[in-house]
Amino acid sequence: MAHKDLREFTEALAASRDLVTIDDEVDWDQELAGIGRLSCERDGPAFMFNNVKDYAGWRVLANPVTGWRRYAVALGLPADTPIRELYRIYAEREQNPIPPILVNDSACKEVIIPRDEIDLFDLPVPMVHDGDGGRYLGTWDLVVSKDRDSGWVNWGMYRFMIHDERHMTGYPRPTSHLGKMLLDGYAPKGEVMPIAIAIGTDQPSHLSSTATFRIGGDEVELAGGLGESPVELIKCETSDLYVPASAEIVVEAEIYPDKIAQEGPYGEYPGYRSGEMGNSVCARVTAITHRRDPIFTIDTTGFMDSSAVTTSISGAIAIRRRLERHGVPVSEVYIPPESGVHMAIVSVSRGGPEVARQVVEVLTARRALMSKIIVVDDDVDVFNQSAVIHAFSTKCHPDRGTHIHRYEGRANALTPAYSQEERLGKLGASVAFDATWPPDWPAETTPVRATLDSMYSQDVQDRVNARWRKLGL
Amino acid sequence: MAQEYEAFVRDRQRAVSGREVVLTLRDLTPGRHKYRGIAVRAVISETPLAGEPLLWLRSVVGARDTEPCSVRIVEELPPIFDAPPYSDYFTVLEALEKD
Repeated sequence: MAHKDLREFTEALAASRDLVTIDDEVDWDQELAGIGRLSCERDGPAFMFNNVKDYAGWRVLANPVTGWRRYAVALGLPADTPIRELYRIYAEREQNPIPPILVNDSACKEVIIPRDEIDLFDLPVPMVHDGDGGRYLGTWDLVVSKDRDSGWVNWGMYRFMIHDERHMTGYPRPTSHLGKMLLDGYAPKGEVMPIAIAIGTDQPSHLSSTATFRIGGDEVELAGGLGESPVELIKCETSDLYVPASAEIVVEAEIYPDKIAQEGPYGEYPGYRSGEMGNSVCARVTAITHRRDPIFTIDTTGFMDSSAVTTSISGAIAIRRRLERHGVPVSEVYIPPESGVHMAIVSVSRGGPEVARQVVEVLTARRALMSKIIVVDDDVDVFNQSAVIHAFSTKCHPDRGTHIHRYEGRANALTPAYSQEERLGKLGASVAFDATWPPDWPAETTPVRATLDSMYSQDVQDRVNARWRKLGL
Repeated sequence: MAQEYEAFVRDRQRAVSGREVVLTLRDLTPGRHKYRGIAVRAVISETPLAGEPLLWLRSVVGARDTEPCSVRIVEELPPIFDAPPYSDYFTVLEALEKD
């Protein structure tokens, strides 16, 4: 079972030596996030900052779930749980959703700041990178929204930036669940869209909000399933939305149907600041509630940030399920964290050009987040990057093995390779690299891999492995 | 008024043309309210003028000019602009300039 709140989780991180606490004063203006950024790039620990310049009484936790070890702890597992096992456990728990429990009281209501007293600058929101458009309040957050007509509740992790004391701007993509709710429901009616940004909740709730999940799916129950325990929810002060009662801080707001302001640019999860600024949403804050001694959480977004692992798992599992539904003979899917959620490796039991084309078409039908897909035979371990690079380099025909699929209106505006014009028009392309043997090649002439497991008898393999162990290697 | 701002622009030449432009300034005064945004109608001088606050221009990817400009605020505007969600921000600003 996962930890019930952020505080239990940080205790577990400290116990597994995955948390460093800093008591010296650290500047919220770039320095704090810079420490977190370096830690991402060096596969370092999470940091708890106990003394933030200008913000006495507040603490900031940087990168709660960055790297596989913290991901494992977030699920309540030992920090050294292998990646394949994390994938398996996530997929298993995802299939066992647990409904939430409603509560009437929570520490997140210890301090309630009403609309006319709100000043977003009272929150210790760091400047994450030099050159960002502003201070990003929503980086490791959980944004609650509700479909105007169906009542379906969406949890998502979307970036939100402070504009002034009472206004925020944000960039949930137009194709995101929140974006669709706004554009299809509230905006055409000229109505504000209530949202609530929960910060510092139990980690399964944050993992659920980052999850690649189907429209209409219940992310609240998913969070319960991931944590193996029901999530406690409490009602907001100014809307009928419910947030995790474990939250350290809750910012309640309304997205305008007819207002905008500057948003971005922002150094994003692909590892670049791509200039996607210029089209966003704008919200006014209606209330802020928090604990008396709150902990603010941030993700120091960029190369190898939290999305590197969170989307690696949930995205890969969602891809596998989608391919299965479309009849693709998929065996395993892995999204390498280093790819900035731009590459998927798909192993199949039967390959060839038709399968590769089908894979790329299925994975770009609604949203096109993956721009490179490597399709390999299922004798290649998708979690073993040496094996994948070997297969890609040697089995993918430079001409016949490349399948490009172009699209309009649904490209990922954060993909650094796109020009400013492509970004504005959401124009893009994805490519499948077919690194499988053509199914019509006869076995007697298909090349045989020159590895121990392929080119030696089982008897020799066993003897070699036994000798290897005896040598202590 | 602050002594130093920054602003993000897509068309730098237009911004420094000497005409009145509409843009969002980010206040660089150290302290809790650093990076607060205000919407203004203003005139930017590429060569800083005495008595005017400094203005650092940044591109849409956040690349900062090596030297600052200065800015004369003609009018402070309401903090947010009338436009549907996901409207192109810079196009909205240019439309306000034409008014």
